[in-house]
Amino acid sequence: MRIIDATGPIDDLWPRIGAGEPLPEAGRALVERDRLGEALASGLELGLHLPPDTEPADIEPHFGRLAMISVGFPSFADGRGFSIGRSLRQRGFLGRLRASGPVIADQFAYLLECGFDEVAIPEEVARRQPPESWLSQSAAITFGYQRGIAGRGSILDQRRARHD
Amino acid sequence: MAKAFKPQVVTANDLIEGDSVFLARSGWVRDIAEARVARTAEEADLLLEAGVVAEAENTVVGPYLVEVGLETGAPVPLLRRERIRAEGGPTFAYAPEGIARAA
Amino acid sequence: MYRYDEFDAAFVAERTQQFRTQVKRRLAGELTEAEFKPLRLMNGVYLQLHAYMLRIAIPYGTLRPDQMRMLAHIAERWDRGYGHFTTRQNIQFNWPKLKDVPDILDALASVEMHAIQTSGNCIRNTTSDPYAGVAPEEIEDPRITAELIRQWSSLHPEFTFLGRKFKIAVTGSEHDRAAIKIHDIGIQIVRGPDGAPGYRVLVGGGLGRSPFIAKELRGFLPKADLLPYLEAALRVYNLHGRRDNKYKARIKILVHELGIEEYARQVEAEFARMDRAAVAAPAEEVARIAAYFALPELPARDTEADAAETRRMAAMEPEFAAWLEQNTAPHRVPGYRAVTVSLKPIGGAPGDATAEQMRVMADVAEHHSAGELRITHEQNVVLPHVAEGALFKVWRALRAEGLDTANKGLVTDIIACPGLDYCALATARSIPVAQDIANRFAEPRRQREIGPLSIKISGCINACGHHHVGHIGILGIDKAGVESYQITLGGDATETASLGDRTGPGFGYDEVPGVIERVVDTYIALREPGETFLAAYRRLGMAPFKEALYADH
Repeated sequence: MRIIDATGPIDDLWPRIGAGEPLPEAGRALVERDRLGEALASGLELGLHLPPDTEPADIEPHFGRLAMISVGFPSFADGRGFSIGRSLRQRGFLGRLRASGPVIADQFAYLLECGFDEVAIPEEVARRQPPESWLSQSAAITFGYQRGIAGRGSILDQRRARHD
Repeated sequence: MAKAFKPQVVTANDLIEGDSVFLARSGWVRDIAEARVARTAEEADLLLEAGVVAEAENTVVGPYLVEVGLETGAPVPLLRRERIRAEGGPTFAYAPEGIARAA
Repeated sequence: MYRYDEFDAAFVAERTQQFRTQVKRRLAGELTEAEFKPLRLMNGVYLQLHAYMLRIAIPYGTLRPDQMRMLAHIAERWDRGYGHFTTRQNIQFNWPKLKDVPDILDALASVEMHAIQTSGNCIRNTTSDPYAGVAPEEIEDPRITAELIRQWSSLHPEFTFLGRKFKIAVTGSEHDRAAIKIHDIGIQIVRGPDGAPGYRVLVGGGLGRSPFIAKELRGFLPKADLLPYLEAALRVYNLHGRRDNKYKARIKILVHELGIEEYARQVEAEFARMDRAAVAAPAEEVARIAAYFALPELPARDTEADAAETRRMAAMEPEFAAWLEQNTAPHRVPGYRAVTVSLKPIGGAPGDATAEQMRVMADVAEHHSAGELRITHEQNVVLPHVAEGALFKVWRALRAEGLDTANKGLVTDIIACPGLDYCALATARSIPVAQDIANRFAEPRRQREIGPLSIKISGCINACGHHHVGHIGILGIDKAGVESYQITLGGDATETASLGDRTGPGFGYDEVPGVIERVVDTYIALREPGETFLAAYRRLGMAPFKEALYADH
């Protein structure tokens, strides 16, 4: 697995706890949804992995304890995670947001716009799609038409600025 | 009982041009008459495998086997869809000539 | 008509450049076919039976002469000299090479056109009324709303990998010429309690293997809430629509399974919660777009002299008279008419036009229709602003290119999908069936005697030919290697929408024209004076037609 964010490849700072594996004593852990109760009771710095059928509202009560959320993308064509990411941000999640799965470089701009910070992609995808592609694809479209999403400038706001 | 084997050819679309192509001895050709015909299931598997390799090498897209009849010597697909595809165009007069005639 | 500003232009240019890079990366193997396919589809590139196919967006069906000429140029330079106008008011070219597509997109961008989201599991080209801005009874030009939606939906970060395609249609008239009830979301401009225009929003319509007529989601939505409301509706769909089965992934299935009340509850909750102001288009932006759709300056005419001249020519030329009667419609400005250019010559492929025909339509539009053309979902072209005094001239110019068929809305004005002759998904031919039926009913007087009758033909269950909502629908399927055609009766795509009823077992390819003739003859024999086919079917029911079709089987 490779982690890429808007600056390029980065280290994976979030050890993912497999099924049946004990939680570590201290530090960080990325846990599955079914271990959330146990993890919340620990003193760990927590990341939570969500399957794509998650209802974002259900996670909102735990935002204060979550430093990171990873949203699963079972395939690049399954776009539920875009709405999950967007909803988590709209509901006020301020931690690190990761898209996990075989997403592709061409989706990077959309992921960033929906509030994701990074992707965790399988080696097979990373081999074909070098970091340069992720960076160049994320900058392919300078201004979009939508507003109220993350960083990218909106054409509507540009037009408004021109009128003012 | 297993279905009786019918002769088959491998077809796909050319990645760059998009045309329907058929696997021949010399590579991919537009004319089904030149296609290699598999006469056993084993031969068909080998032909399809060659198609899959060509797809992985980004030469063609979507290789698959097509059942053909050999009554006229050259392979003729058994299904109407595949016959239309092998003909390379619609079954009616099209393009400016066809449109002008209708008008 | 809408014109790009520098932001629209930069957006399309960057998108075109991005696609050029994607093609390069595909050819280099960086992208697999599985990864590239949705990317090319989102730029309108299909791989069809014989070749790639490029579908170009004609937003809400509105086109300028220079754009139509560019389509003609593309047809000749990169295709085989013709194009096919579709039931979604777009045009598709059947023979482009993948390597040429980036150049074609550059050429399109030079006239403010693109192929963005003409396919793929995203929000497709928003369609509208071909008489938008022209129809006398219209509340407001629906293209203002459609253009807002076009911009909002273009490369929407959240909604570009939906479970399935998503189609939105907008009408500004009570009489629905945009088929809003068979769209994922249908929007009707209505007057609210205080008389100000707003929206009635329908959801969950669609054809395909599980056809549904749309249900009402919101009786009245203030105009300013349009985009936030759509965003809420799409978000609920994207989160909860089925992903396990592509045939159950459209929003119509979600609405059907949840029930409209529960779906509406979820949308309203999301709408209430979200930051609506961040999504809504600013009022000045709406005003900016609206200004582009003001009625063009139409020179005042001596309407009486025009009418007299037209009557005189009609008296001399019976074919002109028939065309006048059949292919022109009222305009909100006295002395003007909206002209339908039929792309349904007897025996032709419905919706096909040659480059030369495109140029003639462009020229006529430039000189006689305030520089505007419209593509209709019936696969015809409308010249929206023709002075009555120019009608004869227009007719003669069209006639020279075989564009004068006087059959709008008649039995030979058939909608047909490309079918097995072009389409990789089709299971039966549809264009040759349309040709055979048109040939059978070729006689103009007989067509007029039959009256309004829409025949719609699909070559597979996906229903691109809208057969469910044809007065007579024809669905071609494959039955153990043989083409078989099921007939439905009583479908309707307008404000009185209904799905057709199946007559019974299907018929062979060669039988279809005779079967249609028997249906039509049965109607003629049983109709009351002035009663249309649809009205007669609704009164009579299936029984007499069934009897006529199957009694001797």
